[in-house]
Amino acid sequence: MPAWLRSRTTRDVLVALIVVFGVGSVAMLLAHASPIDGFSALFNGALGNTSEISETLVQTTALLFPALGIALAFRAGLFNIGAEGQLLLGGLAAGVLGAALPLPGIIIIPVALLAGATVGGLWGGLAGFLRARFGANEVIATLMLNVIAALLATYLVGGPLKEPGAGASETPSLAPSAWLPTILPDTRLTISFVIAIVLALALRYVFTRTVFGYELRAAGEAPEAARRAGINLSRTALTAMALSGAMAGLGGATIVMGVLHRFNTGLSPGYGFIAIAVALVGNLDPLFIIIAAFAFGILQSGAIAMQAEAHVPRDVVGIIEGLVIIALAGRRIVASRKTS
Amino acid sequence: MYAGEIHALVGENGAGKSTLASIAYGSVKADEGTVVANGTVGLVHQHFKLIERLCVWENVLLGREPRSGLGIDRERARAIVRELSARHGLAVDPDAVVETLPVGVKQRVELLRELIREPSVLLLDEPTATLAPSEIDTFFVTVRALADRGAAVLIVTHKLAEVTAYSQRVTVMRAGRIVARYATAQTNADEIARAMVGGDIPALAARDATVQTPRLSVRDLSAGSGRGALANATFDVRSGEIVGIAGIEGNGQTMLSDAIAGVVDYAGELVIDGETIAPTVGPAQRLARGIRVIPQDRRNEALVLDWNIIENVALGRQRNAPLQHHGIIDRKVAAAYAKEVIERFDVRPPNPSAIVGALSGGNQQKVVVGRALADAPKLVVAYQPTRGIDIGAATLVQSRLIEARNAGAAVLLISFELDEIFALADRVYVMFGGRFVGAFERASIDRGRIGSLMAGGT
Repeated sequence: MPAWLRSRTTRDVLVALIVVFGVGSVAMLLAHASPIDGFSALFNGALGNTSEISETLVQTTALLFPALGIALAFRAGLFNIGAEGQLLLGGLAAGVLGAALPLPGIIIIPVALLAGATVGGLWGGLAGFLRARFGANEVIATLMLNVIAALLATYLVGGPLKEPGAGASETPSLAPSAWLPTILPDTRLTISFVIAIVLALALRYVFTRTVFGYELRAAGEAPEAARRAGINLSRTALTAMALSGAMAGLGGATIVMGVLHRFNTGLSPGYGFIAIAVALVGNLDPLFIIIAAFAFGILQSGAIAMQAEAHVPRDVVGIIEGLVIIALAGRRIVASRKTS
Repeated sequence: MYAGEIHALVGENGAGKSTLASIAYGSVKADEGTVVANGTVGLVHQHFKLIERLCVWENVLLGREPRSGLGIDRERARAIVRELSARHGLAVDPDAVVETLPVGVKQRVELLRELIREPSVLLLDEPTATLAPSEIDTFFVTVRALADRGAAVLIVTHKLAEVTAYSQRVTVMRAGRIVARYATAQTNADEIARAMVGGDIPALAARDATVQTPRLSVRDLSAGSGRGALANATFDVRSGEIVGIAGIEGNGQTMLSDAIAGVVDYAGELVIDGETIAPTVGPAQRLARGIRVIPQDRRNEALVLDWNIIENVALGRQRNAPLQHHGIIDRKVAAAYAKEVIERFDVRPPNPSAIVGALSGGNQQKVVVGRALADAPKLVVAYQPTRGIDIGAATLVQSRLIEARNAGAAVLLISFELDEIFALADRVYVMFGGRFVGAFERASIDRGRIGSLMAGGT
């Protein structure tokens, strides 16, 4: 077998493609639809014209933030499956601040984004703290914190933060000054896309060039060797989880400020989970993660067109994404168990 | 191999000895060729394959327990094991739980487990690796008796003293091939060694006269609990000397090394150049004070196997200038560090971007030792620095340790190979049961007495 076929990236991509087209076709057939019609409607709906492409990029952005965070935690040897909760609370923080503070955009936009990142970071950092202090498994901790985050957001929005006359599951609209500026007229594509790309490039630099990234990777790849080389594993776990959560939280804030213009408890259709697959398909390398996020963005945004035109239920996309996560994440967990 | 004979299979690590034994046993499939055995074949592995939580008879009779109805006839099981152990002179208590047994006794259990199947061919893979010198003699009495009763016995080993003392014939392997066969009576250790290496054995670096001043002072150091704990160790290491710690594996050496590395909690006093190092001082500050520990498990404790040589050589120095500047790693400096180690230690392939996990064990160890000796360390703890590597790499590592000593480093050499300690050490301490039970100057080293102290004698 040639080397490129043996590499983990290639195999992950192949697995993902097989799942997408193989399982996708089967699911479409089971739904009494033609896979050819289904996939062509899906790709047409995602990439057919400028407005569809921009919508695909909106989905790409929403996946990219949590995927980068998950990749950072993974590189440190930690499996953050709590991006969904971190994203939700980050969005809530941005939504509350953006609606409550009538400030000019130049101030409120950075403040609200920072608030989203901070709250997401605290939520992820909590799992990191539990791991560093008590040795609690971060998979369990982040999974539990997801549930807590969802219930907490529902409670806050329906109770203490409720505005008279507003819906039960959302905060009041943000002041327009807190809306993220669009980068393409008449679309929902905002500067958050640019921020996400810059973040990916920055993260790659951090991984490859900085002492921080070096220590993070050492802790993830060979914890015992890292510890003996003077790297503080507890501190690394705490920092990695906090930063991971901050990226997801920032992503939540950009959805609230750029797309919905208010916080809604249903703001994420599972971005935090799909992002796990995005991070793994991207082999935890920020550059490849951009490409993977775009691929999953196509699935996300093409799903509706597929349902409307080819009469394939959009849930088929959900099934595909779920199976990609199981296939890739499952394989990694098995591999990590074997080596430890 | 002939019935009634002890046959030695020798060769360097990686020569293919264990693979050959596994093929003969049937646990590894041959790509080509055939194995013909008259009777059954038994194999005792280098690393014991016992179930630690079960007792001796449960291990010995696993899969062939005497039945009584739906249950096991425990009385008969004990009787079978007692009879077997008496017949072969391998004393064990059938009811002892394996994890509580000393290594030498575990080996007897491992042997009994094969003997119950009455093999006519018995393969022993590095059987004496974890035994004390006195236990080795006893062990070979047992093996000789087996051969006398008609078994063909193969010992896979790299200890030539055992080969010449106990075997009738010798087969030498190198790089997967059989390169020489001898009748033991008509050869000698030197000839066998040259056949193993495929040439002359490189000479060790010369030991220069050094100025020795107090460097490491350890007082009443205790760490860990139970088997393998360290109890009240008191000793000194001076600059410009190599102090050897002789002892059998599992007698507190790991705790000693880990305490100095700062990765376990300990009580007692650890002083370097007059400065007390408290247990709370972590590995980072110890590295900064010139302490370097070459750990025993290079693959897990020293290297990041998926990384290349450059990244691995940087490990532990990532926060030091000039490698690091404002939190950014200087790639030129990192590459220069790697190049230095590659050149000084003759790392093969000499490619700084080679992934360390793909290197041979010897070359991996060269990277580990090269990194530890790179910036004039004050104290070097070398734990089994030549374990599992070929003679060429081992001699090179040993020579570099001597050179570090000549240059003024204090070197603490922990080794299970007495030959290595005698070749390198200026002074020798003996450890048994976590305690320091003997001290010898180089001039007054008494092999017999050290061997007896290692086994718990006086």
